[in-house]
Amino acid sequence: MSPKDIPVIDPSAPVILEMNHISKSFGAVTALVDVSIKLRRGEVLALVGDNGAGKSTLIKILSGFHRPDSGTIVYQGKEVHFNSPRESRAHGIETVYQDLALINHLSVYHNMFVGREYHKWILGLRLLDNKKMRDLAKAYLDTLGIEIPSVDSLVDLLSGGQRQSVAVARSIYSSPTVLVLDEPLAALGVREGAHVLGLIQNLRRQRSVSIILIVHNYNQVFEVCDRINFLHSGEVVLDASTSETSEEQLIRIVKSGLGREAIAAAAAEIGNPLTS
Amino acid sequence: MARTTPTSQAARKVGIRAPQTGFEKVLVVLSRYREASIAVVAVVLVIYFQISNPAFLSPLELSVVLRDTARFGMIAVAEVMLMITGEIDLSVGSTFSLAPYVMVLMTISWGVPLATSALAALLLGVLIGAINGLITVRFRVPSLITTVGTLFLLQGVVVSIYNSQPIVAPVQEPFNAIFGENLYGPTDSLWSWHGLTAFTPFLWTVVTVLAMALVLNRTTFGLHTIATGSNIIGAKEIGVRTDRIKLYNFMIAGGFAAAAGVINTAEFASADPLAGGPFLTLQAVAAAVIGGTSLLGGSGTAVGALVGAFVVATLNNGLVMMGAQATVSDIYLGAAIVLAMIMNVQVDRMRARRRI
Repeated sequence: MSPKDIPVIDPSAPVILEMNHISKSFGAVTALVDVSIKLRRGEVLALVGDNGAGKSTLIKILSGFHRPDSGTIVYQGKEVHFNSPRESRAHGIETVYQDLALINHLSVYHNMFVGREYHKWILGLRLLDNKKMRDLAKAYLDTLGIEIPSVDSLVDLLSGGQRQSVAVARSIYSSPTVLVLDEPLAALGVREGAHVLGLIQNLRRQRSVSIILIVHNYNQVFEVCDRINFLHSGEVVLDASTSETSEEQLIRIVKSGLGREAIAAAAAEIGNPLTS
Repeated sequence: MARTTPTSQAARKVGIRAPQTGFEKVLVVLSRYREASIAVVAVVLVIYFQISNPAFLSPLELSVVLRDTARFGMIAVAEVMLMITGEIDLSVGSTFSLAPYVMVLMTISWGVPLATSALAALLLGVLIGAINGLITVRFRVPSLITTVGTLFLLQGVVVSIYNSQPIVAPVQEPFNAIFGENLYGPTDSLWSWHGLTAFTPFLWTVVTVLAMALVLNRTTFGLHTIATGSNIIGAKEIGVRTDRIKLYNFMIAGGFAAAAGVINTAEFASADPLAGGPFLTLQAVAAAVIGGTSLLGGSGTAVGALVGAFVVATLNNGLVMMGAQATVSDIYLGAAIVLAMIMNVQVDRMRARRRI
């Protein structure tokens, strides 16, 4: 699955999501300072940064889990305010959180449908349509090539990669417009990680969903993303396109130190302008 | 490439191993169906007491045991729902006393029919549950503390109304007969209306338990209740309204505690401010725990609560019928709670380590 298979994203593709000048503090802790990111339709954007750089906070604002202190979110051309995860989900923004948000005491198929259950009416009672959810989950996981012992298994009993795959499958099941994946490769083995990357690469090939990938380490995802944004201490310090920047150049930039000035200087050296 | 070890392919297979020995298979069944293991205990207890005292299974004695089962069970099943969400309501014992007290006062003072004042009592229970729930989810007070507070507060309220005096409740048929009054006499056939009234509280609890089993296993509310207790952050992230789910379960607990109190008052035609209290709460919690509900949230069954209530009631009555001091039965009850909890936790750990 070489990146060469996938054509470069059309630079004129419309911007589907903009987060402008987002700031957020938790009491005395400042998590984000004036962060802006942009996402085009069909694009895969990697948000890279150390622990505490503010990546998770930024996407939790996008998913409605936190509210920003200042700044705006423009989604599909309109300014939006998400007050709960339900609202952002209803707008077609699906998030796979770092903790995966799987319910250990429920089966795989119940996990696939928690929050959007199918029902049937029996004797005037609105009951879960377990058979339908079970069949849909099984068919969908099969089409994605995700191998699990059974959709009836408790997710508690799955391996790390299987859990990750189920969480990704759940989020793309509803054909979201924007998919956010928080550390999708964390705690995965090489083979399991490759499978999850394969899922992402397939989505990218279709260019039907825009993806924000949060990762620690960009070289894990260099091949599957169109653009990389570096976050450092709550700021975006570099915005680089993978079609214009080579992996070696990025390594040089990152090795030059993570200070804003250091990265700006190194970026200027390769002719890559900073966002802002 | 030559193999250097003679290990066979089958023996090298890693991953989850299917249960092989009979013991492992039994453990698998017990971990899947917690009620099954406690049902075995219940049957053993019944056989033991029946051998020690042949009158144990007579309709009269059984009626007493099943009335206790009903009282503990109706509260325990609500407690199970709350414990699945990771919360607990210790104030149910006071709601059990207060709601019927208010019911009887309404009927005596204002002349409203018992059926109407019973409905008001249920609403009062739901309201108490809502207050417990709001304090817990809005002010982020652990429910263990919230409801210890309301347990004492409500107990104080009900005893202060008439200085702890029980009041005689009016008897209105068919209300009393339907909701608990025992019309069964030695000359009646067990298969008659009078025979049926020996067990009405139990039948109401069975209906309640079946309804809650349906809610828990086959409705969105039940699914979200499990999700809330199993992984509250994850549940929020995927859009479960966890605060609302907890609040509703507190309201169910208050309503069921009031209903159990109303049934108790219909049975004895008396509203006793000391009928419930902390001890009843703890017996109901014990029934839930013995029935396989974990205090850690996420797991528990309605049917387990009923079986647990039966075990508690059997221990309470069986030993007394054998001539033991009432207090001695507490020794067995206490030991049963501890053993049940050890078993719950260990079965969970074994499952987590994928042994079974």
